[in-house]
Amino acid sequence: MKKFYRLILRDMHLVIKGSSDAGAALLFYLLAIIMFPLSSGTDTNLLTSIAGGAIWVAALFSSLLSLDRLFRSDFEDGSLEQLVLSGISLETIVLSKCFAHWLTNGLPIVILSPILAMIIGLDISYWWVLCSTLLLGTPSLTLIGATPAALSCAIGKGGVLTALIILPLMLPVLILGSGAITAEILGLGGSGHIYALAAILPLSLFVVPFLASKALRLGWE
Amino acid sequence: MQNIFNFLANPSRFRVFSEKSYPYALFMMIILISVGLWYSLFNSPPDYQQGETVRIMYVHVPAAWMAMMVYLSMTIMSLFALVWRHPLADILSKCSAPIGASFTLIALVTGSIWGKPTWGTWWVWDARLTSVFILFLIYMGHITLVRSFEDEYKGARAGAILTLIGAFNLPIIKFSVDWWNTLHQPASVIKLDGPTIHIDMMIPLILMALGFLFFYFSFLLINVQTELNNRKLKKLFIQNFSKNN
Repeated sequence: MKKFYRLILRDMHLVIKGSSDAGAALLFYLLAIIMFPLSSGTDTNLLTSIAGGAIWVAALFSSLLSLDRLFRSDFEDGSLEQLVLSGISLETIVLSKCFAHWLTNGLPIVILSPILAMIIGLDISYWWVLCSTLLLGTPSLTLIGATPAALSCAIGKGGVLTALIILPLMLPVLILGSGAITAEILGLGGSGHIYALAAILPLSLFVVPFLASKALRLGWE
Repeated sequence: MQNIFNFLANPSRFRVFSEKSYPYALFMMIILISVGLWYSLFNSPPDYQQGETVRIMYVHVPAAWMAMMVYLSMTIMSLFALVWRHPLADILSKCSAPIGASFTLIALVTGSIWGKPTWGTWWVWDARLTSVFILFLIYMGHITLVRSFEDEYKGARAGAILTLIGAFNLPIIKFSVDWWNTLHQPASVIKLDGPTIHIDMMIPLILMALGFLFFYFSFLLINVQTELNNRKLKKLFIQNFSKNN
């Protein structure tokens, strides 16, 4: 457990030092949300109805962009290999990397979302739906994307290919997350969607460490 | 059961097995699909509400079943490849993906053609249509990933890993029409309390489904043969190259 904390601290330290692009991904999140009122007009009613979806799409793209580099820099400079050689199981490393990614990408998105929801015109009474779906959904996004990110290390090239593989896998989370907000606005109650999101999170938490470490080992073969 | 898996684990033995069983699978497919087509086009009643349009069902429903069945079999084979390191399971899984993608595309296109006269629209974003479309995208992502590896052994293993991650979409597709009230009708054949479809429509549907199943088998066998031959060719090429130099 102590090793787990140390690994997370190491990743956070790298982010603070600026050698990772976590800050850029957050900035992208802000920019992507601003695109929606700029492109689809400033009609308040329209913006209110698409606000949940807009925030979710921006969150998805932001985590997609930063996921490509989840393992890549450590994989390429060999520090991931050194960590495994030092006796820490690869599954633990994968989990700690995912957790650090969520702390630097998912958590700021959740914290920023109420402010952005206000800018884009989501009614104040739906904030709890937005925040709870994002809180349950962003870790799932990180975990689901971790395996394709590890696979892209094994290929040796990333970019469009990683996005192509990750996006369809993330779509159910996006549908459930934005669907909860829409259902709540329509008065149908979004708790069903939230329960489904809450089911995806432990499922992926259980499966992903094994599959992602398989993928990383494939890259070392 | 264990013996069968061990027996077929040897690639050259599997090739002999597949070369022997391929004509039978092809024969079954041709017989079942031609009989099934005759039944579904000429010897089954038109629907009381949809009229003759209902005949699209005999292609649409088996294709949609197969789209999910192929992914399920890919998932099981990927599990075999990763857990027990079965040397042929990842090839089988890899070779299934293009067939599954074609079935998904057939299901999407026929569904859209069927939707126009009955629902009045080509496409709606309801739960089942969306999740089948996502399945198609996952298939395409799988094919792209496998092709992007230079080493085909690694590519097949990577495909197996990706298949397992995408597998959680399968229950969403199966139960989407039961969980959400949408335009697409709920299941009427595979149900716990027996099918609610008339026997005259059931017979051609089952025949077509079996025909599609044998279509999958025969194309899977020939795809695997091609893959094994390609690998052997590459090995022979390297052997000759090192001998001559």
